[in-house]
Amino acid sequence: MKSLSTGDRAQEATRKPKSRFWGKMLQQRYLYLMSLPFVIWIFVFSYMPIWGWLMAFQNYKPKFGILNQKWVGFDQFIELFSDDRFYLVLRNTLGMSIMGLIVSFTVPVAFALLLNEIKGQFFKRSIQTISYLPHFVSWVVVAGIVTKMLSADGGAVNQLLMTLHLIDEPIQFMAKGEWFWSIVTASDMWKETGWNSIIFLAAMSGIDQEQYEAATVDGAGRFRKMWHITLPGIRTTFMVLFILSIGHLISIGFEKQFLLGNPLVIDYAEVLDLYALNYGINLSRYSYGTAIGIFNSVVSLILVFSANWIYKRVTKESVI
Amino acid sequence: MKRKTQMLFSLMLALVFVFVTACGSNNNSNSNTGGTPSATDAAGEETHAPMTIRLASGDVNTSWDDMQSDIGKFLQEKTGITIKEEFPIGGSDAEMFALMVASDEYPDLVMPKGNVGKLVDAGALLDLRPLIEEHGPNLKKVYGDYLNRLKWSAEDDSIYVLPLDGVDHKYFDAGGGFQLQHQVLEELGYPEMKTVQDFENAIKTYLEKNPKTEDGQPRLGLSLNGGEWQILISVTNPAFYATGAPDDGEFYVNQDTLEAVMHYQRPEEREYFRWLNHMNDIGLLDKESFIQKYDQYKSKIASGRVLALIDQDWDYAEAENSLKAQSRFGETYANFPITLNSSIQDHSFQGTGYLASYGIGITKDAQDPVRLIKLLDYLASEEGQVLVNWGIEGKHYNVVDGVRVIPEDVQNMKTNDNNTFKKTTGIGNYFMSARYGDGVKDSTGNYYTTNFPEQIQAQYTEADKKTLAAYGVSTYKDFWPADDAFPERKYGAAWTLPFETGSQANVIFQKTQDIMKKRIPEAILTSPDNFDNVYDAFLKDLDDAGVDKLNAEFTKMVQDRVELWSE
Amino acid sequence: MAGLKKRSMSDKAFDTSVYVLMAIVGIVTLYPFLNVLAISFNNSIDTVRGGITIFPREFTLDNYIKIFEFEGLMTGFKNSVLRTVLGTGIGVLAASMMAYTLSRTDFQARRWMSVIFAATMYFSGGLIPTYMLIRKLDLISTFWVYIIPAILSVWNVFVVRSYIDGLPIALQESGKIDGANDWTIFWKIILPLCQPVLATIALFIAVGHWNAWFDTYLYNSQRPEFTTLQYELMKVLQSTQASTNYRDPNSQQNIAAVSPESIKMAITIVVTVPILVVYPFLQKYFVKGMTLGAVKS
Repeated sequence: MKSLSTGDRAQEATRKPKSRFWGKMLQQRYLYLMSLPFVIWIFVFSYMPIWGWLMAFQNYKPKFGILNQKWVGFDQFIELFSDDRFYLVLRNTLGMSIMGLIVSFTVPVAFALLLNEIKGQFFKRSIQTISYLPHFVSWVVVAGIVTKMLSADGGAVNQLLMTLHLIDEPIQFMAKGEWFWSIVTASDMWKETGWNSIIFLAAMSGIDQEQYEAATVDGAGRFRKMWHITLPGIRTTFMVLFILSIGHLISIGFEKQFLLGNPLVIDYAEVLDLYALNYGINLSRYSYGTAIGIFNSVVSLILVFSANWIYKRVTKESVI
Repeated sequence: MKRKTQMLFSLMLALVFVFVTACGSNNNSNSNTGGTPSATDAAGEETHAPMTIRLASGDVNTSWDDMQSDIGKFLQEKTGITIKEEFPIGGSDAEMFALMVASDEYPDLVMPKGNVGKLVDAGALLDLRPLIEEHGPNLKKVYGDYLNRLKWSAEDDSIYVLPLDGVDHKYFDAGGGFQLQHQVLEELGYPEMKTVQDFENAIKTYLEKNPKTEDGQPRLGLSLNGGEWQILISVTNPAFYATGAPDDGEFYVNQDTLEAVMHYQRPEEREYFRWLNHMNDIGLLDKESFIQKYDQYKSKIASGRVLALIDQDWDYAEAENSLKAQSRFGETYANFPITLNSSIQDHSFQGTGYLASYGIGITKDAQDPVRLIKLLDYLASEEGQVLVNWGIEGKHYNVVDGVRVIPEDVQNMKTNDNNTFKKTTGIGNYFMSARYGDGVKDSTGNYYTTNFPEQIQAQYTEADKKTLAAYGVSTYKDFWPADDAFPERKYGAAWTLPFETGSQANVIFQKTQDIMKKRIPEAILTSPDNFDNVYDAFLKDLDDAGVDKLNAEFTKMVQDRVELWSE
Repeated sequence: MAGLKKRSMSDKAFDTSVYVLMAIVGIVTLYPFLNVLAISFNNSIDTVRGGITIFPREFTLDNYIKIFEFEGLMTGFKNSVLRTVLGTGIGVLAASMMAYTLSRTDFQARRWMSVIFAATMYFSGGLIPTYMLIRKLDLISTFWVYIIPAILSVWNVFVVRSYIDGLPIALQESGKIDGANDWTIFWKIILPLCQPVLATIALFIAVGHWNAWFDTYLYNSQRPEFTTLQYELMKVLQSTQASTNYRDPNSQQNIAAVSPESIKMAITIVVTVPILVVYPFLQKYFVKGMTLGAVKS
């Protein structure tokens, strides 16, 4: 584009804002070409199915079409909010997801940092590969392993604690509701740290080597380098992932809690998604299930956009 | 990325967008049900032109053979029909049928289990009554007087599903009750085994004398499969069996007034759970009962450490088979109908008449309903029933002096490698129509099914035989009261009563299940003096959840059913 | 001199402890996998006894033989490979294109596009409306149902974008000065610099496609020619649910005949091994130490 003088620009700005808009569009046509197809795509695949949300305001029976249903306004939501169980599962969901959030953004980063410090290539790559293997083992298997290890009937953890004389009798870890959240978080950490650290490793490898060399010259030690170069270097990636994950606090699935749970810890183990399954689609209450889905979505959106807003206020940058 | 790969990727992307438009229209034809529809049929004319039909089953069958088995091929040849069966994979059957209804596209045949209501509401199932009248003589014959139990409701006397449970089914052996290892019984000299006290004493005595197994592992008195959904089978259902009630699901129905309450509300059952609490208190109950996963439960049993169980044989079969494979027969189990005290009798086998529960239906999208009903009719005929039960003469059984006999190698595969057996022969995969149950004989004097009294004897191990002989009976079922000891339940069995889809009663029911799963284990594991508090809290929770409304609703369902079936 | 020596001592201590820690991590994460491997090679009836750690007790290849006898396995494998390769290529390209446009702070449509895309991560119309949409688009019973609805993962877009944001702005400017248009800048300058993050999302997308089976179940269960590997294996992996009619003698047989644990483990191995085989080729892009030179140019 030819450069205009400041005077010309100001004139343009005041006189014809519309043509400036189109002008810019033309100028950025490649960017538009690269993105518009996806906008259409996302409209079709993500926004169009939203019509299903109408179900939440009806008493949906599959027999009739979506427009011929009995409308019940907010009844489904009222029923949802007056169910004690709903608050229980909400508490469980948030409890476990917040713990999970904290752990999954500290441990993998630490792991990636330490991994980076390893100089032996073979050892480094092997450990990195091994570390993500548990990601591929299904929760069914992992839950079985965890239950066995924590079992009071010859489980490894109890054996270890008793050999070290830390306890006299085996502890039934899986029977204690208060510990359930920690057990779930720890199991998840075991299973996913390796996998979650991959993205941070990638981010770290994008940091300019020159910075490290300069720091060495300045006499910085390992920790100083980590603190002043590596961590800031992955800050953007970290913050983006973190903020986006905040939106997922409320819909964390239910597989691992279901598989690790048992009747003794049921008050701590049931999460919102399981509640939705049991009281929604399994009872053919599509409207109720949809109402829960809407609740989830609304809360998620509020969470993520609030987090982003706070981030913007503090750092003047924005994730979204 | 190198230049070449760049080009490749952009090419692929372009191709995608081209294909979207092209394939979009082309694949129209592919989305219809596969296969050729039957050759033009005027009303009901029989053709054996090949036809492929879809059958959606709500129950998973991992041994389905895709009609490649011996029976499958035979059926294909005879009728020209190829059946493609679909199952709910990794999801629930509720989802599968919900999607079906939402998309308004149905396979030819469905076995919807408890989802029938959804399909009927959506108008998806055909009324089979006229089809049976005209083309289903065998179906009529098999159901006999029970045909009247097939109608849908008082307002709608259509027949939507053909129930698949065996008509006039007799149980030849008892698979439930309470189990004790043979070695326990042997060492104690085969004591009387009638009440929970007998049961408890046997366990206690043996455990005191033999606290560890040969490999030094501690023995467990009684282990319950209470960590997963089987809590119903191992912990709560035995409560009504031991207190003289039959299996009516989660309810108890008063036979005279037909009033229903949740069975936990019966005072007798409180005492049963108190006994379990007592067992826990004196250390005879496996502390992991409510924590263990199914695999752990099975491996405990398979290690021979568990002296007693309260379970159904199919639930611990895998573990028992492992013991048998190790030739540790003394550590396998005998079954007894234990009750709370000697005046109570176990009602496991109280008659129901024909249950008429889950079945098969023909949908409105079926390509050729007449041909399908004829297929089902064939399967219900004597020839058809022998086919699906016994297989093909000469291959899976022989007729020796008029008696059907299964050759040893076939029997071996059936017992030891049942999955392969089902897949190759097809026996067990084609129970898709009306049929007689165990114990009914056909016109040749042979049994329709391959389960009959003599068979049971053949399946007993030496340890079983020894124990049975010591008690002077020939099968475990002999311990139980006779089948006709109690009057038949006029409503069949209450667990077959379907809740109205999406009804409030259904929601309350789900809540009671959640409450039960929490409170019952709590009551069992707490200290004895706290037991009543917990159980009272349990009953109160049920009240708060609306159990009275649920009971009233269920009572009405029972009464409606009695009325419907007595017409 | 004394100062240097001191540094290398604490360095050494640090190094050793890192090595030890990582070794522990390695053992702890390797164990479940070895356990699965051991059980997969163990006789199924014997497995019920439990107690297997990292070596099979009764070695057998039966479980694997059973799996390879599954009819749809080869077709499933072929389709899974196809969708993984195709889906990954498309997915990486799409995500990076979108990420680049969003990284341009001067892009006119940036704000609203960003919001529109981000929001979709947090809501969904639900199973039934999605199913009906796919039906309307005639994608049921096709191979493309695996690719088209999965072209873009918004998560990956943001991941790549954050990486691009971290690249020195000077590079883009120099491209502009040379007269390159946005597409060329993207293609020739940005993409090559994004190797680590592209390799990462390629891994995520590829694994996603490789492990997918629910879409096969929903949309292609009647078309065996479009089956996928995981779906074939899932079919056998059935465990019982509480809604099973456990009182029906037939269902009881099914329950008792649930896939033995050994087979489940063998299935896990079969699915994971191909990923392990391909992984090292991607790993070199994001494990530092191998890309020192490439980044700087």
